[in-house]
Formats: sequence, structure tokens, C-alpha cells
Amino acid sequence: MNKNAANAGSGATQAGRPARLSLADWMPKIVMAPTVVAAVVCIYGYMIWTAVLSFTNSRMLPSYKFVGLEQYERLFMNDRWIVALTNLGVFGGLFILICLFLGVMLAIFLDQKIRAEGAIRTIYLYPMAISFIVTGTAWKWLLNPTNGIEKMMIELGFEDFRFNWLSDPDMVVYCLVIAAVWQASGFVMALFLAGLRGVDGEMIKAAQLDGAGIITTYRRIILPSLKPVFFSALVILSHIAIKSFDLVAALTNGGPGYSSDLPANFMYAHAFTRSQIGLGAASAMVMLGCVLAILIPYLYSELRGERHE
Amino acid sequence: MANLVIENVKKRYGQTEILKGINISIEAGEFLILVGPSGCGKSTLMNSIAGLEDVSEGRILIDNNDVTYSSPKDRDIAMVFQSYALYPNMTVAQNISFGLEMRKVPKDEREAEVQRVADMLQIGHLLKRKPAQLSGGQRQRVAMGRALARRPKMYLFDEPLSNLDAKLRVEMRTEIKKLHQKLGTTIVYVTHDQIEAMTLADRIAVMKDGEVQQLGTPQEIYDNPTNLFVAGFMGSPAMNFVPAKVVEQNGAFALELQASKPTVVPFPDQESLKPYLGKEILLGLRPEMITEPQPHKEGAEFVVTADIDVEVTEPMGADTMVLTRISEAEVNCRCNPVYPTKAGETIAMMLDTSKAVAFDKDTGERIDR
Repeated sequence: MNKNAANAGSGATQAGRPARLSLADWMPKIVMAPTVVAAVVCIYGYMIWTAVLSFTNSRMLPSYKFVGLEQYERLFMNDRWIVALTNLGVFGGLFILICLFLGVMLAIFLDQKIRAEGAIRTIYLYPMAISFIVTGTAWKWLLNPTNGIEKMMIELGFEDFRFNWLSDPDMVVYCLVIAAVWQASGFVMALFLAGLRGVDGEMIKAAQLDGAGIITTYRRIILPSLKPVFFSALVILSHIAIKSFDLVAALTNGGPGYSSDLPANFMYAHAFTRSQIGLGAASAMVMLGCVLAILIPYLYSELRGERHE
Repeated sequence: MANLVIENVKKRYGQTEILKGINISIEAGEFLILVGPSGCGKSTLMNSIAGLEDVSEGRILIDNNDVTYSSPKDRDIAMVFQSYALYPNMTVAQNISFGLEMRKVPKDEREAEVQRVADMLQIGHLLKRKPAQLSGGQRQRVAMGRALARRPKMYLFDEPLSNLDAKLRVEMRTEIKKLHQKLGTTIVYVTHDQIEAMTLADRIAVMKDGEVQQLGTPQEIYDNPTNLFVAGFMGSPAMNFVPAKVVEQNGAFALELQASKPTVVPFPDQESLKPYLGKEILLGLRPEMITEPQPHKEGAEFVVTADIDVEVTEPMGADTMVLTRISEAEVNCRCNPVYPTKAGETIAMMLDTSKAVAFDKDTGERIDR
């Protein structure tokens, strides 16, 4: 009898469940729907549209006359695009390397139990809170030969001092590197500092007892254990480098000539001011390819890492 | 193998004194255990021996060399940490050989040493793995392997078993003891677990508030604690402390207790009770000294049978712990499980005071010898 009662009870619950479950089931979907729609339309929708346009002969207005890879051919024949790509290589490479190096060193120095660490950390991290436009404008003033560092040094008595990278087509890209490093290395420092704080203190003691000096300890034990932090920093920095637009716009506006253009500036100029939507779309697709080339291995290793745990 | 002498070691952080003049000296090959509640300074003392922390005052000698101001790597010691502190980016083999590599041992010698250690600890099959792929017990073994590889003069163990589950802890405890018997190297071992201390040590230093309360063999510490703290800390369940009045009976000093009825028990060290006549002292009685009446002990010199009121019984299989109240103090008794005990009843129990100890009620110091 008891058994029957139990069965009846469970039957009732089963009968009652679906109705209640359906609302509970639908709630998250309803809540998420607007975001999903917005993301699908505004991000992936326009991404696909751009991809489609890159295969057409669109100029001032989108047209749907497909011309195959012609826009890509034109793109890679275009001297300005080659300059922009080369600049991206130089700028991105130097920016990432210097940022990583400075960030790691700052983090290590800051991790030596120094006084006023909080204040110093804030000072180094603060540039990240500023928009690239502000950074670009400030560094434009600093690097301007007629009223920046060069003027200051001449007034200090160094009559022959020259620092005119900003107006030198061969050197202007390094100005971009200086400003971007100034902005982002504090952020890298914060990433590594968090990593260093997570290192087991006993591990460092063990290394000490094993006879490793401080440099060996960092080189052989602490920094290798921060490999995931290196990877995150690398991904974040490279996508900052690839999508850099505002820094160039504010600091050099692509000049002198187009010697400091980056791909994003090229894309903007052609798609929106020079009535070359097809060409602009093609350059946007190349940039997307660059981002994916970095992002896919990263996501792959992240997801695989989780499965390992 | 090396002896260890710690002379009047003090350690201060600003105003607070963590170590208040520690004096410990052990022979080469001895297994010393530093035991005490958290915050007693045992880990600080361990770090001072390792050279990871400077001492404010005093001297530390290893193998008759003054190493007070030597750097950790020059002391020729190895340490096993509570968190194991394995290097996560290196394989087990690299972890074990890292210390040798830092000492510029040639590669083939290093490999031979790794193999020797791996065989000794049975971790040969793990050598190519990374620490993240090991279980807790395996990591523990690797941490020990890393310490063994350098063949140092002395091993330091900092609570090495506290991250393991209970069963593994007992297993590893035996392993460590076997290892010590095989190697015969001096070991200093920090723990807060008094069972670990009892089972492993040649000598135990019981610490509290930055002072060594007592240094002695496990049996000495168990039988002859110098004060209430040591008596209460070592032994599980803990020693019972019963307030007792010193009375004179038939020309001898004895102690009056309040069990179910007032009971007078004899005490071995007569002289020590003399100044306390008419006053209260604390009688320290191990649980195994209060048992069911045992015929073979009947009529022995320091044995008294008394009725007690049972409050709680805790069967443990081998024994049954009976909780009662004597002179208002909670008292644990260890009974044979066949002896009928039941909460709420009054039963006869045998009190054996031949190994009882007495403490001053105010100072907590031992008064008999």
C-alpha cells in the first residue's frame, strides 16, 4: 500500500512538472533574446555584409555586382595598404614586445614588498583609463618639434638637440609605439602583478633552498609558471595593435603623407571618405583574418585547457 | 648527518617577540619534532633553521658550524613544505634534479640520482609527469624526493602531511618513519598534530607562545609533562585534570575527590604534597588510568575503586570512553567494551594513581617529580 501511495505521489509530480518547467525553461531564453538578436544582427550580420561587399564593385554606395577577388587584388597592389600593413608589423611587434618586457619588469619590481605600492600601481595603471584619443593628443604635443621635448631641451641649452620623429616619414611609426607603450604597459604590469601574487611563497623558499639565486628563480620557476598570463597579455595586446585607429587619428592623422597609416585608418579612409566601399570592405576582411589568426589558437588552447583540469 | 644546536634564539617583529629564547640541542641522526598550537612560533623556528628568516638574537649550529648568518643554500639542508611547493612548469624528474643542477652536478650524475630517489620512493613511473597531473600523495612523495636528491645534512619537514586525507596521512607517516630509519639523517619536523609527534619523534619539543615548554622523548613527555599545557596538549583523549584537596589520612598525604561520593586516593610523591596540605591542587590522570575494576590490580598500592556517575558513553570499538564528572571536572575514562556502562547509571570504576601527576592550581606548574 505504501508503495502504491509513493507511486501515486511521484505520478502527480510528474504530471505537474512540465507546466511549471516550461516557464522556468523559457525565462532565460526570453531574458537573453534581445542581446542575442542585437549581437547576431549588429556584429555577425554586418560582418557578413562586409564580407559580401568585399566581393562587389561598391564605390560610394553598396552595389551587388560581384567581381570576385578583384578588390583584394587592388588592395594588395595599393602602395598605401602595403605601407599600412608594414606599419602594423613594426608597430604591433615593437608595441607587444616592449609592453611585455616593461610590464613584466614593473610587476617584478613592484612585487618586492615596496612602500606605497598601491599609489605606484595606480600611477602606472592610470594611462589605461584614458582614451587613445587623449593619449594621442598629449603625445602629439610632447613630440612636436616646435613646442615639445625638442623645444624644452633646446631651451635647457642643448642647442643641437633634435627629436623630430613625428615629422620624419621613416620614424613616425615609432612615435605611435612610444605613445601606445606608455598607455598599455601599466595594464600588462597589473596582469603580471596579479599572477605574481598568486605564486606560492613556499615555492620560492624551496627554490632558495635548492640554491637558485633571485634571477634564476624568476627565470626558471616564477615566470614559466605565469605562461597563461603571458598568453592573455599577448592576445590582448595584439588585438589592441590590430584595431588601433584612434591613436593614429589623434597623434599623426596618418601623416606625414600616409607614412603612419595603420590598416584601420586605411579602411576608414577608403570606406567612408574616399568612396571605395568595396576596397575598404576587403581591407576590413583582411584585418578580421588577422584577429582570427590570433584568437582561434587562443580559444582552442583555453578550451582544451579547461577539459584537462 | 649532523647535530643541531639552537642557542638562545630570539626573533622579534617590531615590538612582538615571536621566539623568546629557544634552546634546543639534538644529536646527529635524531628525529626532532616541534609541536604546538598555531601561532606558537614553531614554523618561525623552522624557517630560522632553514635560513629563510633571520634571527634577532642567538646562534644556530649545524654539524658544529655556526650557520646563524649563512644563506639557506649554504646550510646544506633540504625542506619539505606543507603545500609541497613543487615547480609547476617542470616535470617530476626536473623537480627532483633542480637542486643538483643549481649545484652544477653533471647531467649523468643527476640522472642517476633521480633514478635512485625515484626507486626509493617508488615514483619511477611518474618522472615524466607535471605536478598538476599527480594526486596529493604522489606530490607528497615527489616533494620528499626533491629533498632526498641532494643528500643534505639535515631534512626539515614543515607540516608535510596536513594536506593529505586521514588514511593517506597515516600511511605517509609510516613511510617517513621508515625513511628515517633507513637513512639515519637528522630530521626536524614541524606539526600541530600530537599523534604525529608521538609516533615519529625521537625527541619532541612542545612549544607555546614562542617558548619551548618541554623537550624530551615522547614517553617522557607523555608520562612526565612539566606543566598543565604540555599535559593537556599531548595525548588523545587529553589528560583529565581533577581539582583535589590535599588531606592527611593514616599518617600519609592523600587527595580527596568528589566522585559519586567523596573518595580519597593515595599519591606517590608524598613530599611534594606537604606544602599544599588543606589546599586544592589539580590531579592529572590519563583516561587509561580510570578503568573498569580489574581483578589483577585489586589491592595494589595506588589503586582505589570508586562509584562514578556515567554521563555519556562513546564506544570506539577497542575501548569505550566513559564521560563522567569528578570534583566538577569533566573526566574521560577508558573502559573495556564488555564492561556494562550506560548513561545515567552509577558504576564502579578503578582509579590508578601510580602514574598520576599533580599541578599547582594557580601557576599550572608540575609539583611532584
